[in-house]
Amino acid sequence: MNHHHHFVPDFEADDDYVNANTNSSSSNLPRKPIIGEEEDGDLMELLWHNGQVVLQNQRPNTKKQPPSSSSSSAPPPPLDHNLFIQEDEMSSWLHYPLRDDDFCSDLFFPAAPSSERQASNQVTAARPPVPSTVRPPEPSSMRPPAPSSVKPPVRNFMNFSRLRGDFTGRGESGPSTVRESAKVNPSATPASSAARESDLGSRSAVDGGGAYTVGDNRKGKAVVTTEPARENQGTSSSVASKSEIETIVDERKRKEREAIDETECRNEEAKQGRGSSSTKRSRAAEVHNLSERKRRDRINERMKALQELIPRCNKSDKASMLDEAIEYMKSLQLQIQMMSMGCGMMPMMYTGMQQYMPHMAMGMGMEMGMNRPPPPPPPFMPFPNMLASQRPLPPQTRMGGYPPVQASDPSRVYGSNQQFDPNSSQAQFSAYMDPFQQFRSLHPSQPPQFQNQAASYPSSSRVSSSKESEDHGNQTTS
Amino acid sequence: MSSRRSSRSRQSGSSRISDDQISDLVTKLQHLIPELRRRRSDKVSASKVLQETCNYIRNLHREVDDLSDRLSELLASTDDDSAEAAIIRSLLNY
Repeated sequence: MNHHHHFVPDFEADDDYVNANTNSSSSNLPRKPIIGEEEDGDLMELLWHNGQVVLQNQRPNTKKQPPSSSSSSAPPPPLDHNLFIQEDEMSSWLHYPLRDDDFCSDLFFPAAPSSERQASNQVTAARPPVPSTVRPPEPSSMRPPAPSSVKPPVRNFMNFSRLRGDFTGRGESGPSTVRESAKVNPSATPASSAARESDLGSRSAVDGGGAYTVGDNRKGKAVVTTEPARENQGTSSSVASKSEIETIVDERKRKEREAIDETECRNEEAKQGRGSSSTKRSRAAEVHNLSERKRRDRINERMKALQELIPRCNKSDKASMLDEAIEYMKSLQLQIQMMSMGCGMMPMMYTGMQQYMPHMAMGMGMEMGMNRPPPPPPPFMPFPNMLASQRPLPPQTRMGGYPPVQASDPSRVYGSNQQFDPNSSQAQFSAYMDPFQQFRSLHPSQPPQFQNQAASYPSSSRVSSSKESEDHGNQTTS
Repeated sequence: MSSRRSSRSRQSGSSRISDDQISDLVTKLQHLIPELRRRRSDKVSASKVLQETCNYIRNLHREVDDLSDRLSELLASTDDDSAEAAIIRSLLNY
């Protein structure tokens, strides 16, 4: 469709020839604006060659002149032979066998007529490297879509028809299609179908390449795919759809593995020459090495995946990354627990919590406001136990406005160990906030306050263990 | 553990991150993950632990999202001045 814009849309309404011209011109690369579009209003003969539209007017140009003799409303289709022709035009096109051998040959085949035939065949198969060449010296310019403007009209027709049918689905990425067809000889079917598959993904790439996007979504548009030569080669990367790229990567991996296997085989063979015992040992060692390598690769893969899951993880070494993963998981667990408790407690807020309202209003969070037995803890977190703090709230709530901090406190505490009991909960409130702060947007100044409070708490094994975990964290990060 | 680590690092010399350290961490991870905690065997491979960790974290993320949705619904149903709203907001900003 896009290509169609280039051309006067009005043309569509016009006779076939005009349409064909517009189509063809749009399809090919050097979309020379259909120059002659306006010339006669009607008939515009576009000579499409090698991706370039050589505009042919109605002027009495001999060579390229399309059989303007026909000069009927249906302009000589021969011009379109090499051009992109729409399906509906096929019939009209077919009706006009090539009359101008010269015409065609000049355009497309510099060679003699005899060679033209071959050339045309080749053209269909090969991909013209440069679309811009007007007279493509090589027959390759005649891509499959151009059904033979040349000598053996019939033959070309065959190609075209064959190709045409396949192009129907193409529409999107011409270049890929072109590429494919170029590779395959005029058996358009496999090429186009293959191209079609890859086309789906690569449409944009193709366009970028200047390739003629076949599909301009016109059904049955035969695209003259004069794909630039580079497309042919570099195509896979540019045109390759995502799947193609993935397959390429997979292929590379496969090749690596194969290479590894090959070297293994070779080594094995070499070893066999030395002697059975050494061979066995070396073989075993090799097998071991290989399995070890695979195992490490798998682990590294998983580590990378894990690193992606952890927010703001910029650690490069394994140990610190694992540390962060552990901290993050704990904080997540804590967060979930708190939120689920909040969900469950909300309806019951007014029943037993009134005394703690003021504190809650300060945004202290549920864990501070609850002085009653917490709901049954989730399986992995005895966190609620910790909430049953015996301490009076006010001292704690002086923090005021640190709801997140409060929340992180328990998490940090939790991080140190998994078993809480109310008595030791106070000890937990030494806030080693740092590890968790990175997971939450906490104010950096908050922690110190907690630490002050923590000092007043009796140190317990929990505290030491939490400190230890902090040391652990510090150590790994330092 | 810290003493263990320091001695370990002393032994390993330049590299502060030893395999033992990593396996320790992996074990810790294993204990955190409910699925693997039950096994409590030393035979769980590191790769499996890492895989389960990723899955578990994804599950946790999903739970957090669900709970956030529920909390926001709750918040919508309460007065903005109430303490409930304050609590819910604090939870949501967690």
